Amino acid sequence: MKIKFILNKNEVEIDANPMTRLIDVLREHFQLLGTKEGCGEGECGACTILLNDKPVASCIANLIHAENGVILTAEGIAKTKIGTLLIDCFDETNAVQCGFCFPGFLVSSYHYLKTDGEPNLEKIKIALSGNICRCTGYQKIFDSVLMACEKLDLS
Amino acid sequence: MKKAVKKFDARPKLNGSWKFLDDYSYENMIFGQLFYSTCHHGIIKNIIFPKNFDLNEFTIISAKNILGKNIVPEPVCDQPFMAEKEVMHFGQIILGIAHSDKKTLRDFVENIKVKYEKLSAIIDPKECLDNERNHFGKEILINHSNNEKNTGNYHKNIYYTQHQEQAYLEPQGAIAIYDETKKTMFVRVTAQCPFFVKSGVETIMGNAINEAIIETSEGIGGAFGGKEDFPNLLAGITSLLAYKSGKPVKIVLTRNDDIQITTKRHPSRIEIETWTNPLTQKIEKCNIDYRLDAGAFQTLSPVVMARGVLHVGGSYAIPNIKIRGRLFKSNTPSNGAFRGFGVPQALAAMEAHIDQIAIDLKIDPYLFRKVNLFKIGDEFPTTQKITENNLIDCLERVIKNSNYLSKKKEFAEWNKDNSNKKGIGISVGFHGGGFTGNGEKVLKSELKIIIEKNANVKIFVANTDMGQGAHTTLSQMFYETINHPKEKCRVQLPNTSKTPNSGPTVASRTIYIIGNLLQKLAREIQKKLNFENLESYVATHQNEFPREFRKVYIPDKSIVFDENNYVGMAYKDYSWAACVNEIYFHADTYKLEIIKSWNVFDIGKVVNQKIAEGQAEGGILQALAYANSEFFYKKKFGRVRNFTDYTLPTTLDVPEIDVEFIHTDNKIAKGLGEIPMDFPAPAVRNAFLNATGIFVDEYPLTPENIFNIIRSKNEN
Repeated sequence: MKIKFILNKNEVEIDANPMTRLIDVLREHFQLLGTKEGCGEGECGACTILLNDKPVASCIANLIHAENGVILTAEGIAKTKIGTLLIDCFDETNAVQCGFCFPGFLVSSYHYLKTDGEPNLEKIKIALSGNICRCTGYQKIFDSVLMACEKLDLS
Repeated sequence: MKKAVKKFDARPKLNGSWKFLDDYSYENMIFGQLFYSTCHHGIIKNIIFPKNFDLNEFTIISAKNILGKNIVPEPVCDQPFMAEKEVMHFGQIILGIAHSDKKTLRDFVENIKVKYEKLSAIIDPKECLDNERNHFGKEILINHSNNEKNTGNYHKNIYYTQHQEQAYLEPQGAIAIYDETKKTMFVRVTAQCPFFVKSGVETIMGNAINEAIIETSEGIGGAFGGKEDFPNLLAGITSLLAYKSGKPVKIVLTRNDDIQITTKRHPSRIEIETWTNPLTQKIEKCNIDYRLDAGAFQTLSPVVMARGVLHVGGSYAIPNIKIRGRLFKSNTPSNGAFRGFGVPQALAAMEAHIDQIAIDLKIDPYLFRKVNLFKIGDEFPTTQKITENNLIDCLERVIKNSNYLSKKKEFAEWNKDNSNKKGIGISVGFHGGGFTGNGEKVLKSELKIIIEKNANVKIFVANTDMGQGAHTTLSQMFYETINHPKEKCRVQLPNTSKTPNSGPTVASRTIYIIGNLLQKLAREIQKKLNFENLESYVATHQNEFPREFRKVYIPDKSIVFDENNYVGMAYKDYSWAACVNEIYFHADTYKLEIIKSWNVFDIGKVVNQKIAEGQAEGGILQALAYANSEFFYKKKFGRVRNFTDYTLPTTLDVPEIDVEFIHTDNKIAKGLGEIPMDFPAPAVRNAFLNATGIFVDEYPLTPENIFNIIRSKNEN
């Protein structure tokens, strides 16, 4: 089945089984390897993408869900202004450890900055609660997103 | 404070361009999968492949196809790569299977049926550890005792801890490529110890290959000990599939497979009896029985037990102490390395026991610790002398940071009028850096650097960066020593054919052993070439470059350890730490909520403040979750199956974590990797005891566990 959608600001079309997992479409068909598979059950958030402006675990979404939709992955977000700001802040605090979960954190943080952006720790914790990180203890991730919210406020 | 050096790999990790194992592809590559036992113990009667598949399309290997030996090289060589007739545990690998299409492969493997003749099996750690008959045989005895008499107050408890899953976010994986002309096997792997993997692949392949060349993936998505020995087995089987199929083979485990078949933290049963002098409040004598559930095979468990018994006496001056360590056998996958390596269990028991004694003696646990903590001149159970007082400094600091004394009073008042309870608890700990005893002598770790014509410095070590920032910190230790530009210094991706064997990435040894060795080498090169600025030296001496320098680690002669009697210097340097945790107990839901965790460390010289803080925070959260949420064993299914039923802490579960490194005169960087996981868990348990007066002898303190303890207490 032919399915069209917008991927990182480009119109794309793919002819595939509509029940193919979105993560497989992104990684195998489009070579967007920043979307990681950590658990395959929608629990860890390493595969988070934005589908129609909402964070979605791409390992439990199917290609059909993307039909005529808009997808933004970590690679796409990294090229945006807010994405760059977030990367600067994660880099500044040395928050990144193994990094496997971080593209997912970047997506969820970007979504928070776009939709709310208040430098409020409790709100940030809720916004990132779908992403598991085993290395950091989250403290420096919170610091980074708070820092990004504050910098965004100023700009 | 100077600004922390940033990690060289942070930005590419964030934008998705840093390559982890599954991000690599090779021409003609096919996919592999492991087929494993779902029987806890039994004899394989027959294996039935599903119909509707063309078997010729698949590459299938079993123990019969192994070209070398069917034994995974480990400290104890008792685990086969693949089961032959008898399966000893759920998750034991029976077949390796490869096919060009992932989906076809999965459908095929899911429908393979095995008939087993079932045999008796032990999967409950408590059932395993309570029964002396399950003892593997050997034991370690430490006897630092010259008083056989038992006098004073007597205190005895038995503590249990459960499995813990490493839960590295990137699952295990390997890609093997066979080169028929050179007769070499190249394996790319996500692993901590490339040279262990080399030995695994060469063992399974035997004379079929001349050499196995192991290179890690660019990114190693977490490990925590979980990628210490299992990758040897996985890479071995992947290699055999590549050899048989003649094509590159990639195996990446699904989370379900990974969590069910790989190594975990050893469950423990630790029995402690102590005699104290009620007048001096000092511990006079202590007997400890330290038992670990090793799983079906011993593999590296004796090494875990060695570290465990060397730490289980805690940080206390005990004039008479006897410690006995034993491994027990069960029908679960062999338990293995996990950050802390036997010490979290040891301190979970000892630090809980210390609070229990303090209650018996009606003294505050803080004051009781102050009276009994190591002071300069005291001895470890191995007779090694204590040479620094930094643990007391850590304790005093954390008591002050947390406002322990005033909070304790305040909570006692508050608890009188409330059914929910507030509590505060302490724990302290230590961790010996580097390999136990003579380990570093045996290893003879070697590293090399190459200085190129453009004054770029390439550092070759076998130690991997699995997220702990080792490669950033190592290169920092080199360039800061000789004031070389940061961007001209880079640790190379570990590859066993290019990198000397600087030993495995374990035992909190990478910065402590290899980093300090690298600094020495930097100073030696500077002295030898007699330069002030390396760049200008290279510019004016172009014909001398590129030039290679090597250095071998030779441990200090003062390190003498008798491995038969456990006497002497078990570790040269120790890191120390103290923790205070504040908790809130919800009486209606039995939930133990951790409000805040204060931690103070002595790790010697801190090389990179932010990286060190990040290591500490991550380890502390693992320890807190070890105390109140992570629970592996499920009676009905044997094991959990995914992150859906293994409760890892999320952003909503993590308390505020306060970390401080005390400033000491120590010029060297000591180990940091493991100590954050070692000691904070018992402070959760002790805070619960403070809040409720309820004695808990079994970790973790999940709502279910607490509910059962309170119910059985009420019934009695």
